[in-house]
Amino acid sequence: MPGIVIDGRELEAEGGQTVMQVALAHDIPIPAFCWHPALSIAGNCRVCMVEVEGRGLALACNLPIYDGLKVHTDTEAVRNQRKLTLQFLTLNHPVDCGICDKAGECLLQDYHYAHNGSPSTSIDPKVHATKHYSLGSRIVLDNERCILCSRCVRFTREVSGSNVLGIKHRGDTSLVRPAEGRSLDDDPYSDNVIDICPVGALLSRAFLHQSRVWYLTTTPSVCPGCARGCTIDVWHRKPEWRLQAVATHRNHTIARVTPHENPAVNGPWICNKGRDLAALVERPRALEPMVKGEVVAMDQALEAARQAIAGAQRPLALVSSWGSNEELDAFKEHLAPRFSCAVKEDHRQQPNEPGDDHLLLRADKNPNTTRARALFGETPAAVPEGTDLVLVWGEGFDFDTIPDGVATIVLGAFDAPENGLAAVFVPLSIHTERAGHFTNFEGVVSAFAPCFPPPATVADAETVFPQLAPQGATS
Amino acid sequence: MSPRPPRRDYWNEPTLGWWERAYIFEIIRGLLTTNRVFWRNMGRWMTGRKGAVTSYYPEERRPDYARGNRGKHVLTQRPDGRPQCIACNMCATVCPAHCIEIEAGFDIEDTTHPKYPEAFAIDYARCIFCGFCVEACPEDAIRMVPDVPNLPGSDRHNMWLDKEHLMTWNPQQDVAKPYPPKGGLQK
Ligand code: SF4
Ligand code: SF4
Ligand code: SF4
Ligand code: SF4
Ligand code: FES
Repeated sequence: MPGIVIDGRELEAEGGQTVMQVALAHDIPIPAFCWHPALSIAGNCRVCMVEVEGRGLALACNLPIYDGLKVHTDTEAVRNQRKLTLQFLTLNHPVDCGICDKAGECLLQDYHYAHNGSPSTSIDPKVHATKHYSLGSRIVLDNERCILCSRCVRFTREVSGSNVLGIKHRGDTSLVRPAEGRSLDDDPYSDNVIDICPVGALLSRAFLHQSRVWYLTTTPSVCPGCARGCTIDVWHRKPEWRLQAVATHRNHTIARVTPHENPAVNGPWICNKGRDLAALVERPRALEPMVKGEVVAMDQALEAARQAIAGAQRPLALVSSWGSNEELDAFKEHLAPRFSCAVKEDHRQQPNEPGDDHLLLRADKNPNTTRARALFGETPAAVPEGTDLVLVWGEGFDFDTIPDGVATIVLGAFDAPENGLAAVFVPLSIHTERAGHFTNFEGVVSAFAPCFPPPATVADAETVFPQLAPQGATS
Repeated sequence: MSPRPPRRDYWNEPTLGWWERAYIFEIIRGLLTTNRVFWRNMGRWMTGRKGAVTSYYPEERRPDYARGNRGKHVLTQRPDGRPQCIACNMCATVCPAHCIEIEAGFDIEDTTHPKYPEAFAIDYARCIFCGFCVEACPEDAIRMVPDVPNLPGSDRHNMWLDKEHLMTWNPQQDVAKPYPPKGGLQK
């Protein structure tokens, strides 16, 4: 193992590592635009210069370590070089941070505050380029802000494999552009380029000017979009920035979703469906408990359901594959003894949706099929003969397959015509309102936390199941 | 506990003689003053003149606000009447009372000004008139002018000035600080 010295600290490193990797592992800050831990080394931004004893300045990101290497990250020469590099990068940069969604989490901004602090010295007018170039239905590109680090290009080549992006022309007329006849819409992972772009050149249309990032905070969560169960950060408004007069819906809606780096599941990426979590969970809700279509109090609804369950001869339960491990365990403990149980596929792969692929996406569009299958049986082809009560938990069930005259108890979060037809309907909280764990298709368990308080009239499935158990009436 | 600092001598330290200490005479003197002012104002009021310095707000406004009074926010306008504001939220962020709320809009046709405030509101129940918002604005888009908002109300949650209200100021007629500034906007 080669021993190297960075800023006077003797560090142990592994052969084949670069100075940048060793520094990162030991929390020594070296600025980097083009280098990204999950991408190949481009070495084009020149901001990572460090001083090598006896050799002068060198790029930290593509300098392999060797025994006896001595590196300094903060000498006069390094500071000066960083300053010059940053001035060069901003020669044609519009510095329109006031209207840039990246402001607040932009590397160019951060490095300027840390390492430069002086305005451009150029006397030439800035070169102008396309301000809003459409890269498909999800992303717009601001070529003036682009610093040509090529992270986005390398992402589509090396990670997503779609090869959509490239850089054309030369010098100060260089432009990031999609390949002829291609669009980023072809790439189900395209939105990752928004995160990895070190500046505000690649902008999400969905998040465009929706909020300044410092008004937002994150809650760790798990994407329920498929059996991969990627760990994500759900961004929503900070409590101290609650809106009172303008656009108050922002207080309780998802602002955006970004990956939460997790080597065991998704690495630093997620797919575009994960970004669209709002579309999955912010659908019209079912908020009122109902008995035969009549709105009642939660106690009455639970009592009616309990009686129906206690009185049934051959009840069938269709268990949600969107339930958390805790909810599934609660169901197993309290209700499974009364029912014959089967796991239901809440969401199915849509015709235009990708199935299993090389990176993350899975054809099973439910987050917890693994745990549900481990506890309960397979999905039945049809409702068995002689069933006199069907309990449906979650979505995705075709009520037409129930024979006439069989009563239903429905537990769900979203508005659906079947809710009113059921003998009892119990409204449940949604993914962003409850805590729990999902087990992904490889058996990795990830936790999610609530982002928003649930509406007062809905219940958590975990607390509902014990109350529905027949012995609950006597205890 | 640290010892108490010695009491300071003030230039207007009250000195009480035996007359003041006797209390009853001074109380009578105070009541006489109150009565004198009351009856004087009452007499003027009954004869149709104005008595006390009280102004009958909101029907009436004091004409003698200090020259430095900056009691009301305005949003400056571009020559075409659209707001100069770029909805950058610097003012809302710096505001110590957290009383500015902005909803940004996007207009791709307006190439030099694609981001604008769709809604802009200031809560006058919470604004402390510190002027930080004016200082923070990179676009000279928000100013405070010598005026007071006409906002009497009985509900503290209903004291928001909205964008329409903030845009009623006609900058071309403000001789003290015209808008756009003389010599045009800085490029
Ligand atoms: S768009 Fe962003 S990620 Fe792509 S080259 Fe430009 S600065 Fe880099
Ligand atoms: S791959 Fe699956 S779990 Fe991961 S973000 Fe996409 S839909 Fe969600
Ligand atoms: S004057 Fe001060 S308190 Fe009032 S809106 Fe401006 S920044 Fe906020
Ligand atoms: S600081 Fe100025 S430009 Fe920015 S949002 Fe406030 S008023 Fe508008
Ligand atoms: S990070 Fe090393 S050159 Fe860009």
